[in-house]
Amino acid sequence: MITRFLTDIRVQFNPFSPSSKSARLFLSLLPPNARADGMKIESKMLPRNSKEPARLGIKFKDGKELNLEVDKMRITEVTEQVDRHSRILARQEELAGN
Amino acid sequence: MPPRIRLCPRALRVRKSQPPTPITRSYASLATATTPAPPINQTNQFVPQIQRYPPTQPPSHKPPETRKTQLHRQYQSLLRSSPLILLFQHNNILAVEWMSIRRELTAALRKVDAELAQNGQPSLADNIRLQVIQTGIFASALRVVEFFDPVKGTIAEQAEKEEERFTHGVSRRAHEIASNRKLKSGLEPLLSGPLAVVSFPTVSPQHLKAVLSILSPSPEFPAPKRKVNPDYHSLEVQGGLQKLMLLGARVEGKVFDMEGTKWVGSIEGGIDGLRAQLVHMLQGIGGSLASALEGASRSLYFTVESRRMDMEDKEKGDKKGE
Repeated sequence: MITRFLTDIRVQFNPFSPSSKSARLFLSLLPPNARADGMKIESKMLPRNSKEPARLGIKFKDGKELNLEVDKMRITEVTEQVDRHSRILARQEELAGN
Repeated sequence: MPPRIRLCPRALRVRKSQPPTPITRSYASLATATTPAPPINQTNQFVPQIQRYPPTQPPSHKPPETRKTQLHRQYQSLLRSSPLILLFQHNNILAVEWMSIRRELTAALRKVDAELAQNGQPSLADNIRLQVIQTGIFASALRVVEFFDPVKGTIAEQAEKEEERFTHGVSRRAHEIASNRKLKSGLEPLLSGPLAVVSFPTVSPQHLKAVLSILSPSPEFPAPKRKVNPDYHSLEVQGGLQKLMLLGARVEGKVFDMEGTKWVGSIEGGIDGLRAQLVHMLQGIGGSLASALEGASRSLYFTVESRRMDMEDKEKGDKKGE
């Protein structure tokens, strides 16, 4: 997963629900120095009996916001969605010659 | 040269004195640990089953020399020996960060131990460990520990079936029982992704409190102040702790979420504290029972007394009125 262009990540999930698996795996895909490099990561843990679905909100460097319903997606689908915009940003960066 | 297959059917009918077995030449390096089968002319008697494995190494379902099997065995022993296990998810924590988190954890636990040693309680700090686990193998080991009872049904089934029943956790029988997906331990949804566990040899709320305040600080379990413990606020420790998430706990076979874990950690004074609370409560019950029994007679007394006062007032009033 391309994480260079992510600036803000908000995750909420109930660890006891099987559908929160991809939200948790998404957090494990972030590089170890993500927070040190200025990415804001907020993860909110819901109590065990809450029925609220798992949610993932992402902000990109160009300001685009992406809200995903991760409880209905597999982790590969989540990375696909995120990478789709990241690749556009990567191409723009490359064309700008930086 | 004797015939290769020594068939002597008469020996089955008439037992004759056993001739000494001919000495055959063999190499010591080819000798195996298994007992050789008795000669065929002795097979009309009871023959003990040939044991094809050393008694200390009963056969396992998966190849026993692999890392997977050994980890499985190790996790089973961990789950059986620790009544309190905290489950954490770790997201790409660096080795330096692990090292500093472990250092802070041991320091905090040593401090708790030093406090408890004054009351003569044993030290636990060296036995409380934070370790990263292989999630799939841990999940499988948990199923074996929860659902495989080595003692149950062994004797009865052994009498029915000729084959030997193994009672160890990596046996084929344990695997078959644990692979029944209908049985649920309640911890399954937690067991995915990168996991780490903190295992306690006993349920000790004081130590749990120390661990929670170090690994997942919250208003109930505040982290040590910067002045008290500057090492805790170093970059490595804080960077690592941000990537460590408390998921839940397994306390004496029951599954607890984050709130439940905090509740266990907030038990004041551990098991002794609970006992003191119980004694206090029972004393309170005695007192309230006495006052309740007393209450009826006392209220009657008050009623009669107030009635008397009332009548006296009326009498006085009547006298004044005259």
